[in-house]
Amino acid sequence: MTTVKGHIDYDALVLEDRVHGSIYTDPNIFEDEMDKIFHNWWLYVGHESEIPEPGDYRLTWIGRQSVIMSRDEDGNVQLFMNRCRHRANAVCQDEKGNANFFRCWFHGWTYSNKGDLIGVPYAGRYDDSFKKEDMGLTKAPRVDTYRGFIFGSLSPTGISLDDHLGHSKATIDAFIEASPKGQVVVRAGVHKGTYKGNWKFVGMDGYHPAFAHKAVNDLMQRKETGIEAKDRDTLVPSRSLEEAFGEHSLNKAWDLGGGHVRLDIWPMKRQVMDGVLKRLNSTEAGRSYLESMEQAYGKEMAREHIATQDPHVGIWPNLQLIGVQIRVIRPLSVNETEVFMYPTGLGGVPEEINEVRLREHEWFYGPASFGSPDDYEMFERNQMGLSAQVNPWLLVSRGLGQETKNPDGTIVGGVTDETPQRGQFIHWKKVMSGG
Amino acid sequence: MAVERGVIENFLYHEARLMDEHAYADWLTLFTDDARYWVPSNDDDADPSTHVAIIYDDRNRMAERVFRLSGTIAHSQEPRSRTSRMVSNVEIGDEENGEVTVYANFNLTQLRRGRQETFAGRTIYKLRQENGSFKIALRKVLLVNNDEPINNLSFLV
Repeated sequence: MTTVKGHIDYDALVLEDRVHGSIYTDPNIFEDEMDKIFHNWWLYVGHESEIPEPGDYRLTWIGRQSVIMSRDEDGNVQLFMNRCRHRANAVCQDEKGNANFFRCWFHGWTYSNKGDLIGVPYAGRYDDSFKKEDMGLTKAPRVDTYRGFIFGSLSPTGISLDDHLGHSKATIDAFIEASPKGQVVVRAGVHKGTYKGNWKFVGMDGYHPAFAHKAVNDLMQRKETGIEAKDRDTLVPSRSLEEAFGEHSLNKAWDLGGGHVRLDIWPMKRQVMDGVLKRLNSTEAGRSYLESMEQAYGKEMAREHIATQDPHVGIWPNLQLIGVQIRVIRPLSVNETEVFMYPTGLGGVPEEINEVRLREHEWFYGPASFGSPDDYEMFERNQMGLSAQVNPWLLVSRGLGQETKNPDGTIVGGVTDETPQRGQFIHWKKVMSGG
Repeated sequence: MAVERGVIENFLYHEARLMDEHAYADWLTLFTDDARYWVPSNDDDADPSTHVAIIYDDRNRMAERVFRLSGTIAHSQEPRSRTSRMVSNVEIGDEENGEVTVYANFNLTQLRRGRQETFAGRTIYKLRQENGSFKIALRKVLLVNNDEPINNLSFLV
């Protein structure tokens, strides 16, 4: 805690068209974010398919606090603070596993997977005021799920998960309805990444691809034109990147409200569906997948679900659904962040379909991929640039005044517009100001 | 045919030097057309058909990787990593269907923009004799930190 913290004027730091650099660099603001966002708001903690059986658990985080996500013997999802009620030792060590009980090895206290304290060695030395039934693992004050996605909050009161998710629920629906069973499965491991920069850099930005991902752009061009060598400094967007993220792209950028934002790449995805269906029809696994999708949803909706499976959404504050991945953002300090990417499989489809999802994910994402390292490089250069503070402002005015405001409160702009940045900052300011 | 240890060691040292010298195109010629370059994620024994990998390149994707490092601007290699790798503990395993399995350990120091890091692990090779010299059919790299957050592994590991 610092004395400065209570006196930050967030209205002065976030304007309609610009934000002050200190929101990325001030340790006091970071501490305030921990209190007001990460240790208060709804945070994504994991997916039900990671703990399918009674006794399954995975260690996770709510902000900076260690949490056990567990399925108890009755099949219920539980979130326990990973801390012994005796003298605060962590009771769970492994990132994931299956256990009937959690044992603190400091003094042998043992808890059931429902969190009840079931064993205290040499209990006779406690007096009558010691009640085992009051000493179970502390539960996260609130836990709720939406279609398999588990969220926790350290605040006992506040907005419901349903209200928090708001318009972003439809994007979760789209992500999982590429499966004929309407479910994704999170059991294919994880890409763990980290960068020396503020957590808010992991945004939703339709302006950067051709430049920050110059290498990917040129790889696409190489594939499209066969041209191998070129002037390294030339900036020529590839055809497909221009269509997806050019100034005149059909794609859109959305502020869904509540800090949730997305890049709507569905217009372009719908346009290329003939080719997608042709590719699926060229293999047995693809045909079987298509057939089960048509059986589940009907022909037209099957096509639509396949076209719209990548919601490209940021669900505020720590979850993103991009490509096939569930991405989780974990701030470590004002200038250090971890990003975990869990590629998902689709439930009820041939193995080959999910294998292709993995290989396509690895092309762009992960620490040795062709995309992620360049994103992290941009975030670190951003943090470096913020050290120069003579003019402290960052501009987020792109497309301002040219957007469409819908009756339901959502705002939509062109795909390169800074509609998502503004949407996130408006909500950030509201929450940080105590609203 | 028994494989001479010195020939294998020289081959591995040569490969290490090409990687440290950023001689990407030359490095690529060491691989067979059906080669696999594999760096598992999370677990050394993870099945790549059901588990994500850090790298699971076929020859085509290796060529893309080399193009990324030499034919365009990959910002995470601007400036590029300086690397120095020690290859050691070379052990020659079974020979089967014209392929010899070779085990080696490596210790790699990487420096980029003021940050120096160490990467270490074991490499499992399948080497195949082609036109009188060895080619790499499999290069499987078991990083000791493959389950830890990594910032930038966009150099050759």
